[in-house]
Amino acid sequence: MPLPILLVLVVGGIGAIALVLHMLGLSARRVFANESEAGAVWESEFPDDPARQVILSHDHHAALIDTVQGQRGIVWPMGADAAARYLIGATIRKTGKGLNIRLPDFTAPRISLRLDQDEADKWAKTGGKRR
Amino acid sequence: MNYPDVTQIAVPFFIAAIVFELVWILTKKRGGRYETRDALTSLLMGAGNVVVTIVLGFVAYGFFMFLWGLTPLDLGNSVLIVAICFVLDDLRYYWVHRYGHRIRWVWASHVNHHSSQHYNLTTALRQTWTGTFTLMMVVRAPLILLGFHPAMVLFVGGLNLVYQFWIHTEAIDKMPRWFEAVMNTPSHHRVHHGRNPRYLDSNYAGVFIIWDKMFGTFVPEIESDRPEYGLVHNLGTFNPLRVAFHEWLGIFRDMTQSGISLRDRVMYAIAPPGWSHDGTRDTSDQIKIKHLERTPEDRDTPGFNMR
Repeated sequence: MPLPILLVLVVGGIGAIALVLHMLGLSARRVFANESEAGAVWESEFPDDPARQVILSHDHHAALIDTVQGQRGIVWPMGADAAARYLIGATIRKTGKGLNIRLPDFTAPRISLRLDQDEADKWAKTGGKRR
Repeated sequence: MNYPDVTQIAVPFFIAAIVFELVWILTKKRGGRYETRDALTSLLMGAGNVVVTIVLGFVAYGFFMFLWGLTPLDLGNSVLIVAICFVLDDLRYYWVHRYGHRIRWVWASHVNHHSSQHYNLTTALRQTWTGTFTLMMVVRAPLILLGFHPAMVLFVGGLNLVYQFWIHTEAIDKMPRWFEAVMNTPSHHRVHHGRNPRYLDSNYAGVFIIWDKMFGTFVPEIESDRPEYGLVHNLGTFNPLRVAFHEWLGIFRDMTQSGISLRDRVMYAIAPPGWSHDGTRDTSDQIKIKHLERTPEDRDTPGFNMR
């Protein structure tokens, strides 16, 4: 196949599919129904250290986790799915929309959380350390 | 004889099939999920793979032509020889794929294919950018030394990849029984992509599932344990560069840390993913053992009786 045609097919195909998916509403972020659901995400990532306490954000898009081994972690949406990380070594900064968390982790370097101002204050204070 | 580049020819079919699967899922309200950024990352990984193949393809092809110059054998280009080459190359695929899950150096290249938490036709295109660096091209050397022309070997390898495209779907539950017995199918490959402890390191087949049955790595899809897709520790990024290179960086960091022996440094590259010098991480074998400690009733069920 001539390279220009391949290029048009690949670039055009990718762009068109992404646009269609977005317009179909398939860019929505995951909503955690309750604390149990967020805790289950944590436990599927870290079965040796399950959640002892789960604090769900007001909009149900993220959760702060206290683990049975005394660590603090975060669960947040990856599109329609989720990721989870310990907050060890995290730099947490308040932004106008919530919190910006930087982790020393190449696979999850930055987490932007949309939080109410009051919960952003609370999470920023407690996020990096065990209560 | 000229052999076409079937993977490039198949690009329009790939795009059409993705659109068809999406329409199917949206109309039937079952058979899988799509998410914009996940699909976009998969498609960009696929495009990057095409670019890398064009740019670095000469390395493998040069190696194969070097071997072709060495061998006195030439099996010709009959249909029968192409068919035999296809089957033997599928056996080659099985072993390269198995190495890809059991040797971290090779896993570093293959991990990106498993990094999506979705399982749809775009996942099939989430291909490596760094396959050349694994040096797994050497596993094709016996085929060429036996007298299969390099162009034929690459042709059947392309057919193998094109076959594997359609099995990356949840829209198809099970194929007819005879087909499931011999061929790799959506059901068998869903198992391969499962991050459930039961499904780790199973179903490495490309086209023929018989290799897994022969070499003891076959696990059937269990209705009560539906595959959850992705990695043991899922990525927190959709950035294709991070998806493509994260495990290589992990190997580099592990190998260059201070205070470990030379053996440990080598093991960080060649041991199974999850190996660590201080036992702070888990390999898939250890994950299975820990799962059985928590869930002893799963003992001796499929996926927990392989070793």
